[in-house]
Amino acid sequence: MHKLSVGVQSRHIVYDEDPAEGFQMLLQSGFTCCDFSLNAYLSNEELYKYRRNDFFDRPVSALSAFFGRHREAAGAAGVRINQMHMPYPCFVPGAPKEINEYLAKVVAPKSMEVCAFFDCPHIVVHGFKLAGHVSSEQEEWERTEEFLQTLGPLAKERGITVCMENIYTDSGNRIVEGPCCDAAKAAARIDRLNEAAGGEVFGFCFDTGHANLVGLDFENFITTLGKRIKVLHIHDNDGVADLHQIPYTFARGRENQTSTDWAGFLAGLMKIGFDQVLSFETAPVLSAFPEQMKRPALAFIAKIGSCFAEKIEKGR
Amino acid sequence: MQVSLSTKSIHGVTRIGADPEGVLGESVYGITVDAETFYGRNALEGCGEKGFDADAVAAQFSAFVQDCVRSGVRIHAMRMPRLRWDTKRTDLRELLLRFGREGIEACAGAGCHFVVMQPLFAGIAREQLWRENRRYYAALGRMAQRAGVKILLENQCGHVNGHFVRGVCADAAVAAAWIDALNAEAGAETFGFCLDTGAGNLCRQDMGEMAVTLGSRLKAVLVRECDGVREASRLPFTGRTAAGQDADWPGLIRGLRKSAFDGILILDAGDTLRGFSHLLRPQVQSLVCAVAEYFRWQIGMEWCLRAYPSRVLFGAGNMCRQYLARYGEAFPPLFICDNDRERWGTEVCGVEVRPPEALRELPEDCVVMICNTFYEETAEQLRELGVRQIGAFSDECL
Repeated sequence: MHKLSVGVQSRHIVYDEDPAEGFQMLLQSGFTCCDFSLNAYLSNEELYKYRRNDFFDRPVSALSAFFGRHREAAGAAGVRINQMHMPYPCFVPGAPKEINEYLAKVVAPKSMEVCAFFDCPHIVVHGFKLAGHVSSEQEEWERTEEFLQTLGPLAKERGITVCMENIYTDSGNRIVEGPCCDAAKAAARIDRLNEAAGGEVFGFCFDTGHANLVGLDFENFITTLGKRIKVLHIHDNDGVADLHQIPYTFARGRENQTSTDWAGFLAGLMKIGFDQVLSFETAPVLSAFPEQMKRPALAFIAKIGSCFAEKIEKGR
Repeated sequence: MQVSLSTKSIHGVTRIGADPEGVLGESVYGITVDAETFYGRNALEGCGEKGFDADAVAAQFSAFVQDCVRSGVRIHAMRMPRLRWDTKRTDLRELLLRFGREGIEACAGAGCHFVVMQPLFAGIAREQLWRENRRYYAALGRMAQRAGVKILLENQCGHVNGHFVRGVCADAAVAAAWIDALNAEAGAETFGFCLDTGAGNLCRQDMGEMAVTLGSRLKAVLVRECDGVREASRLPFTGRTAAGQDADWPGLIRGLRKSAFDGILILDAGDTLRGFSHLLRPQVQSLVCAVAEYFRWQIGMEWCLRAYPSRVLFGAGNMCRQYLARYGEAFPPLFICDNDRERWGTEVCGVEVRPPEALRELPEDCVVMICNTFYEETAEQLRELGVRQIGAFSDECL
């Protein structure tokens, strides 16, 4: 029996109408943790069209009231909400000022409050994607850093670690590395932010799918970031599109071996003594399979999580 | 900046010694001798097993180089044989070392100053990569130094069952540190870097940022395009779907400008060339040259601005505004010229617009930057006005 916990996204499982059913399903499928999909409440596609809904207009007390049933249901099922995703993007290049001010001054702090309401210790935040709008990666980071610094005090007060995630930038046909794809730079930046914040307020979320898309060396990336990695987004793809599928499902050669470096992933986690949650970001799997396959698909994902956990613990 | 055509993308390359002008056409470019032209991509994989004769191929390579030297073809660089990224061969280090020595020797004999040598990676644990490569390059460094040849390391892909990932020297900061350490040990600038855009694109890297990180260590850029999934050496700009381009060439150009790149631009469009009927290949080669010239112009645009202490812009339209927004502070123009008399006496971003006649009284060291797309017609008009220093600005890759 392994000690590492296994979690999955709440999207397509936990619904507002009956959160208890979703959390029970998670538990029954073999998960003890959950990545709460707060981002589902503010569509990124709409934001890129400079549009937004009014979900985050309500005061924190109303948000807490809205999510009260979710928190209660998670507690009743014994499922721990270990991480959540802040709605993204946090900045929309070219959007009217009101949109970006709303994201920075309303959505971000209220997301932190919701995170605290769930007693969730980690929130995942995307860096600003400004390629083509600024002259260098450093300048892009500086804009992100300004934003992160506004979150620091609240994060510290609420005991939340703000985790930056390796993401890609896509431009038409092309996916290229985006914010936080340089492990050495990310590590140095997190250290600097934490030093300024006077505590471990900032950390990292390693996303396996995004890493695979931009050809990162998993083991090297993970070992460079080390203990700064607080949360994971585990999912798979074909190396071409961001598919968020079940690990081990893609192969390229006739030998039919996995084309994603899962061995390197596990080796990296073993080396850094990873002791956090093995969390899957595989919501699209659940919309791809027929409804009656949802539970078996979830159970299969949880089983892969258990397999990962056993390998990591055995290899330490 | 030198433009160099890879031997892999020259139609009729084996006839180059006998008929250099016939093969290279009117282009005045030099060449980069890519050993893959002779060894083939899979040759080393079958070495010792499929009757691969290293001596015979080495002799062929050497004869080709001598032919080039005799016929006055300028060799800018040599790219030595390399292992496939999915190689199973972990036993060829001695052979690679031998190729390295032969490459240095061949460079020295041909008046060529750069040899590109793939770092070692096959069968080496990640923790040992630096130690093994340090030993390997050090073994060649002294010989290269004596021969006046620089050894260029190159970014590699790793391979996970058909999927390419970042391999040795793919991290520009790590590559820069390796080069600095090797040069420090050599006591001279014996080592530099060749950026393979094909490998960079396969690993979806920001090649502009790589160029900036490598800075002056970057001595050559191997310009070739692929779709980001499969390895290929296609002509830049040919990979496109309705969704957009396959490669971020403007990003690379911006990075090379920023790092003030002044090395060798090696064009390798071998797979595009071979895709065409041999009857059409001469035309394809002309296009390769045009693309090479485009890169040289775009990358070198800031060199032109830096080279002259003062400048005037010709054309008061949108491109002029783009110039002023990007370079107005660093390289302010004396004034702007335009053929449209309606614009005379007006201002663009605070800079006065004057008639072309004003160009007759320019300072000696002033360049006129053409800020419209009618480059040839405008240049002709400028020459008629007695302007001698003419530059061409473009806002495509700002």
